[in-house]
Amino acid sequence: MNARLLALLPAAIAINLVIGGLVNALGLPLYLDSIGTILAAVLAGPAVGMLAGGIGQVLFGLINGYQWIPFGLVQLLIAALAGLAASRAGFRLPSSSLAWGLLTGLLAGALSSVLSYVLFKGVTATGTTAVVTLLRQVGWSLPVAVTASSLLLDLVDKSAAFLLVGALVRALPLRMMGRFPRAARAVGR
Amino acid sequence: MTLAPGALAARAHPFTPLVVTAAIAVAALAVPGPGPALALYALTLVLVVTTGTGQAALRALVPLAPLWFFLFLLHGVLGEGGRVTVEGISLSRDGLALATTQAARLGAIATASLAMYAGFSPSRFVDAVAEREWSFSVAYLVVATLLALPRFRARAAVILEAQRSRGLRLRGSPLSRIRALGPITFPLLLGALAEVDERGFALETRCAAGSARRTALAPPLDTTADRLVRWLAAGAGMAAVAWRVVG
Repeated sequence: MNARLLALLPAAIAINLVIGGLVNALGLPLYLDSIGTILAAVLAGPAVGMLAGGIGQVLFGLINGYQWIPFGLVQLLIAALAGLAASRAGFRLPSSSLAWGLLTGLLAGALSSVLSYVLFKGVTATGTTAVVTLLRQVGWSLPVAVTASSLLLDLVDKSAAFLLVGALVRALPLRMMGRFPRAARAVGR
Repeated sequence: MTLAPGALAARAHPFTPLVVTAAIAVAALAVPGPGPALALYALTLVLVVTTGTGQAALRALVPLAPLWFFLFLLHGVLGEGGRVTVEGISLSRDGLALATTQAARLGAIATASLAMYAGFSPSRFVDAVAEREWSFSVAYLVVATLLALPRFRARAAVILEAQRSRGLRLRGSPLSRIRALGPITFPLLLGALAEVDERGFALETRCAAGSARRTALAPPLDTTADRLVRWLAAGAGMAAVAWRVVG
């Protein structure tokens, strides 16, 4: 691992762990806890994104409780899809970022719902669980309620994350773009 | 969290709490039914108190309280199957058992991991990794991230205050709040990338990415008791899995 990646990974992981606090101030139903993973995958490839997401999730578990570690699998999936999007100039336009964000949200939501149902019986992050409780109250079965709430929140969350990373990468100074050639490919330059 | 200097958690080899916490997490997921799960949670509480990290048990209640509430609501109140009336409230018998099991499991896992974090010393961890000649990159990543977190949190707070003082509205319609996402996240992201650039050069000049063997400055003592505890914890974790598979 070269020195630049050694410097990038802690920053990407810290972004994943800290940005949620910033977004909380807006009171939006977003976590954005995969922005660092997506950014690392766009700048340095899917393997680096997976490292950032995987290690970040382990550290998140260390600080907030190990029960969150299995969701590292979702981070790996997001990194793989962000890397794929970057290799196909998926961040060239806001619309293409949104499309990749929706696809990622769909797949990540499906995986989260399986983990949430099998390991936690539907009770995980407070916002998602509140939606599950609401759906259960109107008569939906637990597996359907868990799947629907995970899909809904992940579609919104990952779309926002991809849009933000796309806007950021398109605005990167040329000097920075030169250090991370994959970023140039991600925005179609 | 500050530990007493003589606390067991502060004196133990850095790998010992890691193995014990992992074993508790594995056992928690493996134990069947409310009885064994509650017993494991109780054992975890005794362990954290005796090792001097008892405050972690209280800190764990912060993330646990909403999860416990939703477990009770989702499975106890809204669960299916036979009903039982407690204090005039109709509850699902199976749902209550499931909620209790899951609550105790999460309690054991969160308490153990927060106790381990309370006793975690980045410098001792790096020395322990260097002494074993394991990958410096992995140790650096763990430690650099843990040290970066408070810095990033402080920067995020400053950005939020700065944008507020410039008139950014953080409340209002969902659309105006979505518009505020960029102004509060971009400065943090761009600042982080600028730091990556500087830090990359600093690491390169120190040959941080090289594969040369590093000398541990003050390797932590790995006592027989530490090794015994690690083996016992690993054995207990595997026994819990075997109990689940066979039973």
